[in-house]
Amino acid sequence: MLPPTDRGAAILGDLHEEFLARASIDERAARSWFRREAFGVGLRYWRRARRYRREPVALDGRTIQRGSWEGTVDVITRNVRYAVRRLAKNPMFTLVAVLSLGLGIGANTAMFSLVNATIIRDTPYDRPEELVDVFERAEGFTHGTLSYPDYEDFVEGTTDVFAAVGGTQLALVPLDSDDGAEMLFGEAVTGNYFSILGLEAARGRMISEEDHVAPGAHPVVVLSHDFWVSHFGADPEAVGRELRIGGRAYDVIGVAPEEFSGSVRGIEPAAYFPIMMIDQLNNSTTRILEGRGNQSFFGKARLLPGLGVSQAEAAADRVSARLRRDHPDYWGADKAFVFERTEDVIMNPMIDRFIVPAAGMIMAVVGLVLLIACANLASFLLARAADRRKEIAVRLAMGARRRALVAQLLTETVILAGLGGVLGVIVASQALALLLAADLPLPFPITLDLSLDRTVLGFSLVVSVGAGLLFGLAPALQSTNPDVAPTLRDETAGGGRARGAFLRDALVVGQVAVSVVLLVAAGLFLRSLDASRGIDPGFGDAPIGMVQVVVPADRYSEEEGRAYVRELTGRLSGLSGVTSVGVVDNVPLEQLNNQSVRVNVDGIDPPVGRDYHLVDYAEIDDGFFETVGIPVVAGRGFEPMDRPGTEPVVLVNEEFARRFFPGVDPVGRTVSINDDQARVIGVSADHKVRMLGEAPRPFVYRSYEQRYSSFVWLVARTTGDADRLVVEMMAEARALDPDMVIVAAKTMERHLAILLLGRELGAMVVGGFALLALLLASIGLYGVVSFAVARRAREVGIRLSLGADPRSVIRMLTGGGMRLVLVGSVLGLLFAAAAAQLLSRLLYGVPPLDVPTFVGVPLVLGLVALLASWIPARRVTRIDPVGALRAE
Amino acid sequence: MGRDGYLGEFEQVLLLAILRLGGDAYGVRIMEELEASIGRSVSRGSVYVTLDRLEEKGWIASESAPSTSGRGGRPRRVVTVTGDGMEELRRSRAALLTLWDGLEEALDGG
Repeated sequence: MLPPTDRGAAILGDLHEEFLARASIDERAARSWFRREAFGVGLRYWRRARRYRREPVALDGRTIQRGSWEGTVDVITRNVRYAVRRLAKNPMFTLVAVLSLGLGIGANTAMFSLVNATIIRDTPYDRPEELVDVFERAEGFTHGTLSYPDYEDFVEGTTDVFAAVGGTQLALVPLDSDDGAEMLFGEAVTGNYFSILGLEAARGRMISEEDHVAPGAHPVVVLSHDFWVSHFGADPEAVGRELRIGGRAYDVIGVAPEEFSGSVRGIEPAAYFPIMMIDQLNNSTTRILEGRGNQSFFGKARLLPGLGVSQAEAAADRVSARLRRDHPDYWGADKAFVFERTEDVIMNPMIDRFIVPAAGMIMAVVGLVLLIACANLASFLLARAADRRKEIAVRLAMGARRRALVAQLLTETVILAGLGGVLGVIVASQALALLLAADLPLPFPITLDLSLDRTVLGFSLVVSVGAGLLFGLAPALQSTNPDVAPTLRDETAGGGRARGAFLRDALVVGQVAVSVVLLVAAGLFLRSLDASRGIDPGFGDAPIGMVQVVVPADRYSEEEGRAYVRELTGRLSGLSGVTSVGVVDNVPLEQLNNQSVRVNVDGIDPPVGRDYHLVDYAEIDDGFFETVGIPVVAGRGFEPMDRPGTEPVVLVNEEFARRFFPGVDPVGRTVSINDDQARVIGVSADHKVRMLGEAPRPFVYRSYEQRYSSFVWLVARTTGDADRLVVEMMAEARALDPDMVIVAAKTMERHLAILLLGRELGAMVVGGFALLALLLASIGLYGVVSFAVARRAREVGIRLSLGADPRSVIRMLTGGGMRLVLVGSVLGLLFAAAAAQLLSRLLYGVPPLDVPTFVGVPLVLGLVALLASWIPARRVTRIDPVGALRAE
Repeated sequence: MGRDGYLGEFEQVLLLAILRLGGDAYGVRIMEELEASIGRSVSRGSVYVTLDRLEEKGWIASESAPSTSGRGGRPRRVVTVTGDGMEELRRSRAALLTLWDGLEEALDGG
């Protein structure tokens, strides 16, 4: 067996040197000499090795028994040392390989962290398989939340299937602090909620039945672990202190366990309250615990042991039937209770429907990027294996065991992959830090635990080592193919296709195809984003500031509330630059809130199963339309004369008029809204209501003056800077009442920006990864063409010495690379066409087979590929024809 | 041969050839030197195996030198005789000289 280290290489070098000297005289004789000598040396070493195999062998001055554990460790150490030396000898190769892998693994680790945080990470519930989430199905909602009275009826009617039913409701609560109010997310839970989940407090106790007493009577709070750390400095004495919220003191009774980050993933509450305090927490005139219309209660139930969802459904249907009988106008024929296993729910089944495919898509995308990076690695290894094929052939001929050689080659790959993995984890943590720091126009802060936990690191490790083994094995097996005779035979000449070339070509074709798929996906998302940007929401096309306040119901009567808002609008009108001020309780396109009323119009039948139409609405004052730029196209807008006590009046939009008053002028007619008659005084232009991509939706405007709401947005249009205006508006709101609760404040631009956020992020992420794929594929192509240039140096030398035009030789070599690109592109376009069908649900305003995308992508790719193969091909002009002819 | 530290004939020949080559002793040179001085071809495999053994005994040291042209990029294993090796050669030479003493004339005459 030939010594694996430099000694073996030196022997081969000696043979090589002498061979060349002999070949210059007689090449045929030299070849036969080479075979004889190589065989002779091999035989000598083989005999020696066979003799030594039975004796202890000296390695590094130590005597070790073969086959022992120590021997194995030694072999590994030797392989690692050998691999490191080889890698250090080719720093460019090592760098490119580690960078390729690092980017590929980094992309995978980063995206997997996101998926892990949103989808995979386990909830800390006790016996989670018994838990179900309870929803209500209604028009437009397959999984809507419940109202509290619905919940009470549900509990009563399902005692035979559920051990317990509880629930929680999100609340945005104002924490009183020295510098005004800070808005916190809280959860208001039923007394049995935490015992249903099986959660124990980290300190003190959780909310329990003893806290579930009369509404508003028992202000206590359990802190989340993070809030306890951030606001109480992890004070062990925090239990027993108090928290002031909306001017009321809450006794801290406990701290929640660290591993529990709230009931809805992504929304981490700062604190937990008894649901009996919900109206006090919201501080509004709405009585949530009494009204059936207010549906914001997340139900959770624990099945009795041994029972399944089907038994629960039967019980729930009985409750549903009773509700239909007792409240026919509220519980229509289309309403029902729906269950999902808690383990299967991420945020809400309606949202999960988008999250899961999006996560799947993004993992597929980064998986493809990694595939390209690995193909580069395999391709480089194949090229190097071709370099070493003589050495390996001789060693095999001399009796080296193939397993040992493969192990040695794989050691090198796994080291490369390991380095790539380390780089990947660094890349991923940096990318995630950037993502968390980004100022996204979200309506509430999303908190995801993106720390690189054991699952994520395990994932990276498996991916790295797996990639190394998978993509190192083929080159290693191929270059140690025991059928060495052909290699030995034509071991000098440059001509002929080297083994491994086909595999490398196939890898490039695959890389190009994958790049095309990713580029097409990115192109479709970009075009889709472009189409969405072109949508006119129908309002808000000006610098506008928006501030949402909650006029505290315990301090302000309706009359006083209106007076406060009127006073505030007056002050805002006086700000410099402000041209118009308006009031609205629900800004269109607000993602957190949709509200609707029951509408009946004579002669227009409600949908089957219902006694009314559900129509979205908002309450506005007389300045709103002018401020946001919605024109009144018929009749009039609201005016100061529309006051409480006068005839109830409404405005409708054009779509409402089309649908409910076909061919008739609606102005002056009456409609029934929530069973009250109201007169239509005008028609406004259509605008988008819930989503940018929606078809025109009917909409009703009611008068804020006639109706009142404690939640209002103040909107002001300015000729100046909207950001500064928002700050001034908040200051004015506080100047009038220092304790006023400001829930949100933003510019109209930001309000509308969130609508495009999903598409922008999608286009950015997929686009980024597609560019990365293109870069990696270009590196692969560059490598293949470089290799072809080196392999064909002799042939090129002959051509050049015979007077061939270097440019035509460059064209020939570039053409070889471009043929691969062509094949890859065609394959890629076919796959992309199939993939585009899967993406069609995520696209807007673009057909899946969008012509500009499907034409543009191959063009861009072709240009980049041309460059990547032209640069190495150009190098042939530097080949010395004579030198190339003399040696390889 | 050689396990007990006794310098074998072929080992001695190799050590001398290495010394004659000065700082340029590697495979190809050594083979050339052996063929030129002994006048017959030697087994290449024996040369390499013997070099390994000499190094294991500590009589020569080897160093991987960068490749020169026409070696396919592979290093040269340049060997030098160590102090121990010199000592061994001296002892062997002294032993041989003692044995030869008084026999030169008889052989010359032959």
